[in-house]
Amino acid sequence: MSERVDSESDAESPLRQVRREVETGRWDGVVGVALALIGVGVVARQPPLVLVGAVGVGYALHARLGEAPEATLDVTRTVSDASPDPGDEVTVTVRAHNAGDAVLPDLRLVDGVPPGLEAVDGPARVATALAPGATATFEYAVRASRGEHRWEPLRAVARDAAGSRERTTDIESASPTRIVCTPELAAGGDLPLRGLTTTYHGRVPTAVGGSGVEFHATREYRRGDPATRIDWNRRARTGELSTLELREERAATVVLLVDARESAYVAPEPDAETAVEASVGAAGQAFTALLGGGDRVGIATLGPLDCWLPPGAGSVHAARGRETLATDPALAPTPSDERFYRSLWFRRFRRRLPVDAQVLFFTPLVDDAAASLARRIDAHGHLVTVLSPDATATATTGNRLVRFERRARLRELRSAGIRAVEWGGERGGQESGERGGQESGEREGRGGAESFAVAVARATGRWSR
Amino acid sequence: MSARPVAERDPRPPTATVVSSLLAAGIAALAALVAAPIGGAVVGLAGAGFVAGAVRRSPRTLSRAAGTGAVGIALAGALGGATEPLLVSGVALVLAWDLADHGMSLGEQVGRAGRTRRNAAVHAGATLFAGALSAGIVYGVYLAAAGNRPVAALALLLFGAVALASALT
Repeated sequence: MSERVDSESDAESPLRQVRREVETGRWDGVVGVALALIGVGVVARQPPLVLVGAVGVGYALHARLGEAPEATLDVTRTVSDASPDPGDEVTVTVRAHNAGDAVLPDLRLVDGVPPGLEAVDGPARVATALAPGATATFEYAVRASRGEHRWEPLRAVARDAAGSRERTTDIESASPTRIVCTPELAAGGDLPLRGLTTTYHGRVPTAVGGSGVEFHATREYRRGDPATRIDWNRRARTGELSTLELREERAATVVLLVDARESAYVAPEPDAETAVEASVGAAGQAFTALLGGGDRVGIATLGPLDCWLPPGAGSVHAARGRETLATDPALAPTPSDERFYRSLWFRRFRRRLPVDAQVLFFTPLVDDAAASLARRIDAHGHLVTVLSPDATATATTGNRLVRFERRARLRELRSAGIRAVEWGGERGGQESGERGGQESGEREGRGGAESFAVAVARATGRWSR
Repeated sequence: MSARPVAERDPRPPTATVVSSLLAAGIAALAALVAAPIGGAVVGLAGAGFVAGAVRRSPRTLSRAAGTGAVGIALAGALGGATEPLLVSGVALVLAWDLADHGMSLGEQVGRAGRTRRNAAVHAGATLFAGALSAGIVYGVYLAAAGNRPVAALALLLFGAVALASALT
């Protein structure tokens, strides 16, 4: 098998790039068999055998004479819907026109389906033969998922008639194909935040007395306190003037930090939603809920690609956030190939993070790095809430070990004073409790998967003071 | 706990190629049976080998089956089989092997569910044409010129042709 990369031969077309040319070697040995038959024929003095051997020599010539044809194809690809909703089926039609002068007797086409998409109806492949000027058309469907998906070049494998040589060519379509799928952000319920707030009015109750709606404390009357805030009952009882203090409600600055390292692309089953997908969905809910509550919300990712949406408010910011969560390459449905440098990332993140920002950290918690990072951010004064989609399975001993380790990490975080919510997973139930022991999971048995909103509502009940 | 894989594709060879390979192998066995019964049985064994190789997706099994078929033809020829059935058997045997092997590569690269019929038909046609052409030429030359020549002279002539072919390539 000889192999060589040849990119000069087709220099006139930048759309086509020859990847490799190989001898398939499928006719190897035919000459040997032919000569053996001739030999037997000579020894046995049987002319028919010599003739059969001669036919074998003819096959050897057939195998040698061909030349791997150049796949000079013009490819056009059309999609039925360039901006589908998640879960929609998008029909992709590929037309390959043989623009060269050579017959392509054996042509296999493999379309470059984006890694984040899945061909659902028919394979994105075809094998055919094309005369000059002929066109091959094939169709398949993909199920749209969140993100921006670009098609990769179509790969054409052309063999000669005998199949003894093959040439692989990558062919770009005339105009690049892409679909953008931007899901609507699900409306989220109330999300309890921790007590780190800005000076602005909002909805996070603080431990500061002032004006508000909820009772906080009473204090001595000071000259100038409004008459409506004087505790008249007490005045009637004791004759002393005192003033009611109400709990101040302030707005918070929140940064949604989504774990998108390669290790976070995990799922309990091969075709299940990855933890990154689950995190992005939950972050979307949190984003709308917090923004609706008057908090300032930003988005960041923990991963090799940089993604930073500074905290902000308003409808423009909401649209920008939706777009970031849907199509940012840092949150792509498949992991990126770049390397991730943790300390560099952390320094940059710290520099960007506003002083009064708290962090909602979405991570599957499948390695110690995520847990230690949550503690580090918390130690720097940015209160952290860990929201963890459960991507563990129970099928094998290894699965169960990973599950156990993750559980231990959650416990450790909680004992360090970091709030943690987990959702999803095979077993619903109480195991997301603050001090939830592993035995409670067994007690609950096999419930359905718990959704993010339900998990948060349950946690809110626990956290209320 | 694994990264999300691409949807599975059925890598088995397309049914059409397997069936037509079996058909060609049947013809080969039948023709060899006409030439000499034992040879026919061995060629039939080769046909079974092609099917097994296609099902197990093992090129090695296919090569071995093809070798078995060649042995069968050699046996039939050595036992004094006639020229015509032997030639037919040889061409059909090569076609059977070629279809099985081609189907396997189609299964690997395109999959069973893909559209492959046209490709397989063109490929089989080319192989059949090459076989029929060379068998026709050889048989014609044999009838016209070498009918009364000794076998050794014929073999020497062929050896010259092979040497020429090697030099050409």
